[in-house]
Amino acid sequence: MSQPFVNAPQARSWRDIPQPVKPRAMSREGRWRLASSLARVLAGVGVALVVAWGAWQVTAALQENPRLMPAAARTGPVKNFLLKTNAEGVLDAAWLRQKLALPKGATLMELDLQQLRARLLADGQVSVASLTRNFPDTLEVRIAERAPVVRLHAQFANGEERTLLVARDGVVFAGTGFDAARLDELPWLAGIKLARIGGQFALIEGMSAVADLLAQARLEADPLYATWQVVSLARLQSDREIEVRTKPGTVVVFGADGDFALQIAKLDYEWDVLAKLPAPPSKINLALGREVPVTFDAPTTPAPAVGLVTPAPPPLFSLFPNPQPKIKREF
Amino acid sequence: MSSSTTFIGAVEIGTAKTTVLVGEHTGRELAIIGHGECPSRGVIKGSVVDYKAASECTHAALEQAERDAGERIDLVFLAQTGAHLEGFYNEATVNVKAADNMIDADDIRTVCDLAKSKELPAGRMVVHNIRRPFRVDGRLVPALPENLVGQRLEIGYWNVHGQEQRLADNIHVIRGFNLEVRELVLSSLAAGHMVTTPEERQHGVLAIDIGAGTTDFVLYHDGAPHTTGVVPVGGAHLTNDLSIGLRLTDDQAEKLKLRFGRASVMTKDKTQKVWLDGNFAIGDRQFSQQAIEQVTAARAWELLEVVKKKLGNAFTPDTCTSGVVLTGGTAKLGGIAEAAARVFGVPARLGEAPMWVSENLRDPGYHTALGLLYYGVSAQAEKATGSRRRRGFLSGMKRLFANA
Repeated sequence: MSQPFVNAPQARSWRDIPQPVKPRAMSREGRWRLASSLARVLAGVGVALVVAWGAWQVTAALQENPRLMPAAARTGPVKNFLLKTNAEGVLDAAWLRQKLALPKGATLMELDLQQLRARLLADGQVSVASLTRNFPDTLEVRIAERAPVVRLHAQFANGEERTLLVARDGVVFAGTGFDAARLDELPWLAGIKLARIGGQFALIEGMSAVADLLAQARLEADPLYATWQVVSLARLQSDREIEVRTKPGTVVVFGADGDFALQIAKLDYEWDVLAKLPAPPSKINLALGREVPVTFDAPTTPAPAVGLVTPAPPPLFSLFPNPQPKIKREF
Repeated sequence: MSSSTTFIGAVEIGTAKTTVLVGEHTGRELAIIGHGECPSRGVIKGSVVDYKAASECTHAALEQAERDAGERIDLVFLAQTGAHLEGFYNEATVNVKAADNMIDADDIRTVCDLAKSKELPAGRMVVHNIRRPFRVDGRLVPALPENLVGQRLEIGYWNVHGQEQRLADNIHVIRGFNLEVRELVLSSLAAGHMVTTPEERQHGVLAIDIGAGTTDFVLYHDGAPHTTGVVPVGGAHLTNDLSIGLRLTDDQAEKLKLRFGRASVMTKDKTQKVWLDGNFAIGDRQFSQQAIEQVTAARAWELLEVVKKKLGNAFTPDTCTSGVVLTGGTAKLGGIAEAAARVFGVPARLGEAPMWVSENLRDPGYHTALGLLYYGVSAQAEKATGSRRRRGFLSGMKRLFANA
């Protein structure tokens, strides 16, 4: 509960006495002081007015004749493009010029930096972009580029076929300036349906898992990675599995939620054993935890019996169906 | 020079002389950098009776002080005295509103507002609201009682008020020099602040400033001013008595008072004579020294008795253990401390300025102006601290909801 409002009469204080300056009540010294105070105030106001008038004059003069503007404020046509990209970046000034497509003779002040930035970001290869005017004639552009994880073969409705790249965040981009040898090392991506949204490719789900798997493989077992040709996401949504088809034709199934380092270590171990066999296995499933089923295609000639258990199931990998009958071998 | 530096003029428009000191206040330090004085004209018993004459001499002193300081004064602290000043005591009590009985700022503000709110007669204005220490459930609290626990909060104010016209006259004299009066300070408070120590004020001390036309006094209890007052009698009355008693002009009587006047009779030999001028020129006369002493002592005793009477029950030797401190130009009268000791029944001494005051300002006649500077600066700082506290965001929000 608050205190009752104090409404007691307040006595007048000496501070209520007005302190006017009446010239007739002032002595000669007082009038002199008053005059000098007024003079100082007037001088201050005068200086402020002069400064304001000067600023207005300068502004008006510059508006009427921009050539009066100081050299620093005068901007000519953009002559230089300064591109700064990240360490793994491959884009260059030529790409920048082509991408920005500035009108001829455009000056720095005429540029709409937001629009230009949007133009750069429209290229999926660019993840971050910032543009700065460096007077008098240089446009500085800082970008961060996406690194490709896999490549993709796309066929469009008009029959055009193109190779696209996919980054870790699922962005699909054309890929400009990359070394062909570097791109050849990348596995192909399969088992997805490429869609367009608003003129751009839709993000591909699950690419972070793929990127982790490929990075781990590259780090832990580079020779194995070199044999990987196709990565399929066909069963990622349904079974949480990533299928990798190798050059020898073996399909390796990884569990998307499992420990990739452990799975690659198992694969490495198994591969050392399986490589001694005359025929490579058709499938190695690493997605089942401790059990690693290995499937062999049915041999045309009797193969050395190494624990034949059951007839082979239908082929698991749908990208490259093998019409020949298979048998399943388990170790 | 820092932009926060303020040049403060302490002005005492006395009956005998007008004194101006210029203080350079940097916010943390105060240094006296200029001094000016001028014999007063148009002032009787601390009140302006001739505006033009009083303005001329005050402005002359201000100009001299500004010249001495080499700076223009920004604002003025003005000493106020005169028989028109009166005081009364008013107290208030509130019950602490919080459930846990913890006193908050609202309680303090409420009780202070109540204690200060008393209607004055027409034409009277408050000069000072002098706060006495708080009491929480009867227990004395020297500082602000915020966050202390108690049920009843009491406070008393010694309210000093004066006649509006007299106050306005003094202020307008200063305004005539195109200066703002920022603080009006009682002469007794200013002088008392200068000649007493905090310990003395805590134990109880009576400071008496005997000027030419008035005698100002302040009684301190528990570290705060308890009672103030003005007696319209001063050194000029001693001179006047001598002038009448010995048939002399005022100047001659003043000369005799300064040389031979005493507040207690020491001369036993009635035949002991003193010369008026001592140069044996035509007109030089002899007077009985005992007669001079008898005249001045009688008036000085009477003056001290009047002060004691005006204090009434507020003064007892038990509550004034640090005694009486005398200051002002007339305090230089010989034997006045002994006279005060006998009248009040407590030890008495002459007031002295602190050691840091320069030699030329150590005369008792400057104590009021010196105190004016220091008391005024302290009051301003206290006010600034209070307003900063009140301006706090949380307290603002609290008030908003309290008033809703």
